[in-house]
Amino acid sequence: MSAAPASTSSLPEAGTSLGADAWRRMRRNRVAMAGLVVLVLVSLACFLLPPLMGMDPQAVDARRGAQPPGGEHLLGTDTLGRDYLARVLVGGQTSLLVGLVATLVCVLIGTLYGATAGYYGGRVDELMMRFVDFLYGIPYMFLVVLIMLLFEDEARGNPLPVFLALGAVQWLSMARIVRGQVLALRHQEFVLAARLTGASDTRIILRHILPNVLGIVIIYATLTVPAVIILESFLSFLGLGVDLSWGRLVAEAVAVINPIRSYGWLLLWPSLALALTLFSLNFVGDGLRDAFDPRSRR
Amino acid sequence: MYRTLIGILAAFAAALLVVGLTFSAASEQPADYAFINGTEPKSLDPALITGQPEGRIADAIFEGLTRRNTASLQPEPGVARAWSLSEDKRTWTFQLRPEARWSDGRPVTAHDFAWSWRRMLEPALGAEYAYLLHLVRGAEAFNLYAANADAIVGPREKETLLAGVQRLLASGTPVALEAWQAFLSAGKAQEHLKGCSDPAVLEALATRADPLPRSVLEALVPALQREGARRRAEHARAVERLGRDEGFYARDDHTFVVDLVAPTPYFLELTCFYPLFAVPRWVVRPRDTGDVIADEDQDWFLPGTLVGNGPFTVESWRVNGKMRLARSSTYWGRERVRMRFVDVYPVDNVTTALNLYLTGEVDWLPGQYPLDVVQDLKQRPDFYAHAGLSTYFYRFNCTKPPFDDVRVRKALCLAVDRAEIVEHITQRGEVPATRMVPPGLAGYDPPGSGIVHDPEQARRLLAEAGYPGGKGFPAVSILHNTSEGHKKVAEYIADRLKRTLGIPVSAYNKEWQAYQDDMRLLKYEIARAGWIADYPDPNTFLDMWVTNGGNNQTGWSDALYDRLVTVCADVESFVRAGPEDVIARLKEPGKARELAAAVAGATDAAARAEAGVRLRAHLFREAEAILFQDAYPVMPLYYYVNTGLVRPWVREFYRELRLPDGSAAQNLQDLHPFHDVWVDAEAKARTGVR
Amino acid sequence: MRETLLLLGFLGLIVSTLWWPRPVLRTAGGLLLGGLVAVFVAPAHGLLAACLGGAPVALLAGWWLPGRVHRRVCFMVLTLGLLVYVTTLLMFLAPGNPFRQEKQANEQVEAALREKYGVPEDATAFFGVYMQRLLTEGSLGPSIKNQGRTVAELILPAFPVSLALGMTALVIATGLGLWLGVRAGLRPGSVADQGSMALAMVGISLPNFVIGSLLVMGFALELGWLPVAGWGGYRHLVLPALTLALPYAAYIARLARGGTIEVMQQDFIRTARAKGLSERAVVLKHALKGAILPVVSFLGPAAAGIFTGSFVVENLFGIPGMGQWFVKSAINRDYSVVLGAALIYCSLLTVFNLLVDMAYAWLDPRIRETL
Repeated sequence: MSAAPASTSSLPEAGTSLGADAWRRMRRNRVAMAGLVVLVLVSLACFLLPPLMGMDPQAVDARRGAQPPGGEHLLGTDTLGRDYLARVLVGGQTSLLVGLVATLVCVLIGTLYGATAGYYGGRVDELMMRFVDFLYGIPYMFLVVLIMLLFEDEARGNPLPVFLALGAVQWLSMARIVRGQVLALRHQEFVLAARLTGASDTRIILRHILPNVLGIVIIYATLTVPAVIILESFLSFLGLGVDLSWGRLVAEAVAVINPIRSYGWLLLWPSLALALTLFSLNFVGDGLRDAFDPRSRR
Repeated sequence: MYRTLIGILAAFAAALLVVGLTFSAASEQPADYAFINGTEPKSLDPALITGQPEGRIADAIFEGLTRRNTASLQPEPGVARAWSLSEDKRTWTFQLRPEARWSDGRPVTAHDFAWSWRRMLEPALGAEYAYLLHLVRGAEAFNLYAANADAIVGPREKETLLAGVQRLLASGTPVALEAWQAFLSAGKAQEHLKGCSDPAVLEALATRADPLPRSVLEALVPALQREGARRRAEHARAVERLGRDEGFYARDDHTFVVDLVAPTPYFLELTCFYPLFAVPRWVVRPRDTGDVIADEDQDWFLPGTLVGNGPFTVESWRVNGKMRLARSSTYWGRERVRMRFVDVYPVDNVTTALNLYLTGEVDWLPGQYPLDVVQDLKQRPDFYAHAGLSTYFYRFNCTKPPFDDVRVRKALCLAVDRAEIVEHITQRGEVPATRMVPPGLAGYDPPGSGIVHDPEQARRLLAEAGYPGGKGFPAVSILHNTSEGHKKVAEYIADRLKRTLGIPVSAYNKEWQAYQDDMRLLKYEIARAGWIADYPDPNTFLDMWVTNGGNNQTGWSDALYDRLVTVCADVESFVRAGPEDVIARLKEPGKARELAAAVAGATDAAARAEAGVRLRAHLFREAEAILFQDAYPVMPLYYYVNTGLVRPWVREFYRELRLPDGSAAQNLQDLHPFHDVWVDAEAKARTGVR
Repeated sequence: MRETLLLLGFLGLIVSTLWWPRPVLRTAGGLLLGGLVAVFVAPAHGLLAACLGGAPVALLAGWWLPGRVHRRVCFMVLTLGLLVYVTTLLMFLAPGNPFRQEKQANEQVEAALREKYGVPEDATAFFGVYMQRLLTEGSLGPSIKNQGRTVAELILPAFPVSLALGMTALVIATGLGLWLGVRAGLRPGSVADQGSMALAMVGISLPNFVIGSLLVMGFALELGWLPVAGWGGYRHLVLPALTLALPYAAYIARLARGGTIEVMQQDFIRTARAKGLSERAVVLKHALKGAILPVVSFLGPAAAGIFTGSFVVENLFGIPGMGQWFVKSAINRDYSVVLGAALIYCSLLTVFNLLVDMAYAWLDPRIRETL
């Protein structure tokens, strides 16, 4: 996103690792850094404030439902009289966790799968990639719903199945991207050298190839987190998601957007939190892309 | 470069062409009246449907012996133009109007009804409402006795009750009570021996002796053989004669006779309920090979093949889009039907439904709006709310700790403030419930209930049960089916219980199919439930709690309760057989004795029938007292209300009923018969939307 | 156990296509392609039409298509079978079944209904019944929850609706995205740039049901310009298509902006300007090209996403499209509808992909090797 063509003037310094090099460029990208700071702040607020301040997002006070922001409740209350600040913060925990864990699942499967396909190439590659194509062909929503139903018995509001389901549908693009990169890398000298020293395929993939695709994996991962969070909100819209998340709060609030009575703040706060986080994630992702992009190192 | 651009433009042009073709169908005439139906009907076969959305359409395209009067909802002449009731109040004779026609022009005859009712009772059809017709002589035998006999003595079932009992006898070891009850439950003994009056059977079902005396088993073997043979014989007789010259039958083309098992005050009301409608047999079952399911055309009620006898027919039906009803040209009362087209929208998103109403696209919105705006809707003149004949409650899983302890169940019941729920959470004007049977049933005097809002006593009870201050109480969850409204109530109650009793309670949801499975398999601790009356009688709320009843789903069981519900099916035989063993165990035995004496001492059939009705009501009262003074297998929360929005220009739409004697009454089922409703276009033009 | 064996067998069969000899591939590929056509034709037009349509396709395909395409066809059809099987297993594993009624549990009735709808209690047996019906009758079977309707009757009418909605959304997304993106990319850092990009970010970071609800609130309820919901005319199309398009428009805008910035830095732009071309011509001839290229490669996934991701929009606007079936049928455990929806969608997508790849290979001989 950032407009500033990051550091076209700087030459790569000898001896700096890929990561350090990228981080240095990243630090100069103000928008991306601002995004990073916001992300850290949001996460800290979500995970630390509720336990520190003893907030209870489930404590109802039915007689004082739907109070507008201000006064005793900083962000107002929902229709059951629950403190909305607590709900938004605790909801954030789930949303961030869902984003993070599902992305981790996706990175784990996607990278290993893609690297294997790319490294071996040939028929193995064709087969593995055709399988990915095939999975692309399944309506993703449908797969998510089925997985959710499958785990419903054990779940009882536990977000674990959501992580799994969303991670399971998101890894496909990751696999494709990694495979493309690895395909290009596998004939490079360092791979050949490693092979000559007698390193096993597993070792070559893990030790030599994966570190070289890490950059793109990180970039893509930051873009996956927003996608997953949005997808989770769709599940909440259908009543299948977790008990309390930003997506759930937004989905509930949308039901009260109508000309009869709109409790605007119920939609505003979670949307704001969602938008802020996803904005930042996108900025960070763009910043990372610029930082890792080989072309900007010309 | 240009090629790419041209390619993209061509693709866009093609895309727009596709869009254009989709809409090329000629626009249709505007509807006179439109309403939101909540969800797409799964079927329109009157024998098989059960839901309200299905019922609304069935009421429009079919008609029973009677139809509902628009203002009072009481039965008025429908296909039958007149009827009479015999002296002993058991035999109804309906005179069918000769001008009643099916929409393909054929006359509607008494044979159609006889055939349709018999079809409804075919065990293979699996009609959920078939039990409504069990009121008719021979119907239960026709519907269930073959399966019962198979389960009791075979031969179609291998694992019969008889074989099981014989095995227990042969093993020679004493049978523990728990094992015996597990055996009965596994064999669905209660269900298959329902209505059996053999003392040996009753003793075996109700016994609390541990271990089981061998004599009980020994007496049971011949009793089961007798019962199996009796059911087999009665079934054979019913197959032979039901619908031909017994139970219900056509005396001639236009005379339909119904023989009831016992006087039933609400029978006439059932005849305008859709399960008892007639269906066109030549369309429904064009083949006749004897295989019920294979013979039927499953799509007979879809536009194109549908033949009905009601005021409307289905003109078009786009699934998830819109259904259009058009006035029937063959309906006997077509001159009085004022609407030509009615549009039905199956919108399930409540916000969208409300928006459609607010912009004037639909005229009637029954209940489909976001819960949170109800306070504001209540201020509108076009909003209505009236009591419903239905109860919202939580089931306890009585088979597992901690809810196998009645003190715990009672503690939870006492800890919840129902007034706060209805005033601040549901807010539609529901009535707090402390019992199962909602108010408004004529002739039923409800018993007192032990449920009040009393946190102090609740805490005390919990301490007595071994959980002082909630200490040591296992984590429990409230299961509810996916819905914003249920979620709110469950989260509220979970938090209140946590705060009042100090016990760890949470709420979780499952979607409908899985939720139902869990209830059936008792895979829950506390579960939300609702029960809507099938007919205006306490039985519909009370017979579900018998031991192992299909809808009990709590694992709770009580012998006296079972007995009371069973004898209510036929109180006259109960009185004849000597009621004292039951009456002695009641809470108000004096009253029961008095009523039983009135039945026994009645001089004519009419007086006996009348006294029987009173005794029956009293026995139900005693049964309900067991539920909410002793056992608390469920936690009643509130009685539903029916709410909705209706435009002022919709005429003959009774938010409140007007009875023939001029008094007002609640529209308990939110029914607004289509044959009279109409839209005043002038008023609509005058007032405009909003 | 049987399930594992069958799954392994399926996978083995699929893997083995890599080593099938040419003649086998040619025959199998032709037959399968013809069969696929037949299966699609049969529900709508009957068996005879299916044979008439399938046979020439099989012959032509077997004769004319290159070996690689045959291999892919074999692979594709086998994976479709696998899809059906895996989906069946998942469905049967999920708790609940479609034959449960609310008020009474009657085993005999359930057995009769299972018999009628061809749904044995065992997943593998169901798969057998389903495939047999599909292959011999070309039928997707009856819907269990919508009594009296076949799966084809439910899904086929929804198809053009989804197509119309999806196409319109795609046109809006591309048009709007390109316009915003190119405008922003021409003057990076300007107010126009930051404005469009902020707009794009909103489009990406808010769930579309929020955007949709706000659009309804504004354009339908406050202004009264458009209907709030429903299906039946062009006016009904505007808001849902817009709602569906916005996130994609935002994404396209970002892609187009990046592409434009890159192109505008190239030397040939300077040359073009130096030649005295008007700014307008520069933009139209060169900048747009840079903007379009990354967008084109995104259109494929976008089309797929729009097409299946429409369930929220359909629900919000009461539209009788395909999207709802993916969700509702799974929730209702309407097994045959679930399989039908997945099968139709998946085979359309794979056939589409195959055609696209073939077209590419035909246009650009260099890619032919990778097909």
